Amino acid sequence: MKWLLLFKVAWVALQVNLMRSILTMLGIIIGVAAVIIMLALGAGAQYEVDQQIKSLGGNVFIVFARGRATSGARGAAGSVQTLTEMDAEAIEQQIPQVTVAAPTMWANAQVIYGNLNWAPSIQGVDNRIFSAQNWQLNQGREFSAAELSSSGRVAIIGATVQRELFGASDPIGQSIRVDRVPVTVIGVLDAKGQNTQGNDQDDLIFMPLDTVRKRISGRTLASPRAVRSIIVQVADERDMALVEQELESLLRQRLRTTGSDDPFRIRNLSEMVETRARTMQIFNGLLAAVASVSLLVGGIGIMNIMLVSVTERTREIGLRMAVGAEPGDIMKQFLIEAMLMCSLGGFLGLSIALLVTKGLEKFAGFTAIIQPEVVLLSIGFSALIGIFFGYYPARKASRLQPIDALRHE
Amino acid sequence: MIQAVIESIAITKSYQMGSQQVQALAGVDVHIQAGEFIAVMGPSGSGKSTFMNMLGCLDSPSSGEIRIQGENVTHLSAAQLARIRNRYIGFVFQQFNLLPRTSALDNVMLPLLYRPDHSDAESFAIECLKRVGLAERMDHHPSQLSGGQQQRVAIARALVNQPAVLLADEPTGALDTETGLEIMQLFQQLHSEGKTIVLVTHEPEIAAFASRQLIFRDGRLQSDKRVQPASATEHLQRYRQQKSQEGLA
Repeated sequence: MKWLLLFKVAWVALQVNLMRSILTMLGIIIGVAAVIIMLALGAGAQYEVDQQIKSLGGNVFIVFARGRATSGARGAAGSVQTLTEMDAEAIEQQIPQVTVAAPTMWANAQVIYGNLNWAPSIQGVDNRIFSAQNWQLNQGREFSAAELSSSGRVAIIGATVQRELFGASDPIGQSIRVDRVPVTVIGVLDAKGQNTQGNDQDDLIFMPLDTVRKRISGRTLASPRAVRSIIVQVADERDMALVEQELESLLRQRLRTTGSDDPFRIRNLSEMVETRARTMQIFNGLLAAVASVSLLVGGIGIMNIMLVSVTERTREIGLRMAVGAEPGDIMKQFLIEAMLMCSLGGFLGLSIALLVTKGLEKFAGFTAIIQPEVVLLSIGFSALIGIFFGYYPARKASRLQPIDALRHE
Repeated sequence: MIQAVIESIAITKSYQMGSQQVQALAGVDVHIQAGEFIAVMGPSGSGKSTFMNMLGCLDSPSSGEIRIQGENVTHLSAAQLARIRNRYIGFVFQQFNLLPRTSALDNVMLPLLYRPDHSDAESFAIECLKRVGLAERMDHHPSQLSGGQQQRVAIARALVNQPAVLLADEPTGALDTETGLEIMQLFQQLHSEGKTIVLVTHEPEIAAFASRQLIFRDGRLQSDKRVQPASATEHLQRYRQQKSQEGLA
């Protein structure tokens, strides 16, 4: 029997019991919709995490200077500056996988412009920070060599600082006071938004290292070139583990540390994000697994209805056999009916999933990504369910004796 | 000797019913030649229906042979038997057995669906519906047709695969007298066109329209005789006259 005709026959059979077919399909519809929505939300969350890792730099280490234990009293991280600009240069030169090592200082200070004031994080940097942390300038320029070497009174401000102090007016060339020191704004950074911890990444001001060290920090430093941290960017993310080891041994050697208590700490920002992402993936995976249980239940529903259908249509089966249907033809007919019902359910489930994810994106602010392979997989999978759960009823139908089937009341 | 279309050679059939062994057929030899119109008669339980199912390859005998055009079909597989039925046998049932919610034309085409090599199935099915006088109703569903019309559709379906033999199991059993006579008229016409027909009935009036009568009793062939068939057309006319007179009176 021709396949096209088989589909037509199956289609007619579904229409004959339209309500029952729809109710039977409901299990598949809900299952497929749930699986697709869960996977879409999972993919959306993964996408957001990827974006964050990209903005943080997934290939970035931060080396913090850490207080040396002096006479058993340990200071907070960065309380005593053990790292210097020379360490940054050594890292850059001696570890070939490192593209850039940017030394940074930081301080907290009140910033005043006109009658407004604000307390952003003040960071002492040089131009390497731009590539190390993927910063882009929205307006203005980077620091000049002269400004860097002579503790120039210049600043590049983050988007939040611009908004709080300047509003809509142009900040370039304006003078602000940072901890009573007047500095000129020479640039504005592109906004990065919040990081995974919900901290505003744009609430900062960049100034030359020396400017922060000499004019703002006001703290006695162990070395005139001391820094609080070094941001290390690695060329290839796959080298992260190797570079971490090399960083540690290089710094231990440079700082002449022997014991287990290093005067520095190496942290990888993407690690934290990835841990969160992994937790989320496991969670989404679990939800998808629960959703697929409803697919299974839907499949059993299909089997149940197909068994009912075979019993109801025993005379029809007998007639078809009498006029020449082989057992294989009967088998195909019922398998295709089950498969059609499941695929149709899968298709409807997909449509519902599309609507729901669009709704979630629009009204609840979720990011949901429906990947094309998920679509193909879910439709294909539901057809498979049709074959799997349709097989037993179809086989039962094909094994009927024509004479018994014809006599069936 | 002319090759028989269908023959049964010493067929027996026994069932196990609980602890009891039931002998439905106990050695039946029948040879059916092309162009015969045979009525199979007998009381219920005589084995006539079992015999019919054997001829139609719907059931297989416990022993003996069924031969269709000389070929022994007794030990064929279910699929092979389906192909034999599809090519050589046309069934007409008492309860018509039409597919509901399916047009008359699609019902008639059903046997050809299982014959992938058949081209032009639709025009041939229309041809068969014309032959039974229902061409103008081919888009009607069975529920929109009278009993007689449904049986005509079933006959068209039995004709569509150009079978070697037409097997009719109580084809008038579910119809009133007049419609039954009309159906018998159609069978006689088909017979005169050369079709081989085997008809199971328990009504002697219906059997009278056949040219050979087989009478079964207790699983055996009690008698096998050729008779002069009555004319269904004449009977129909007489019946209609009678009815109109009764109506006047």
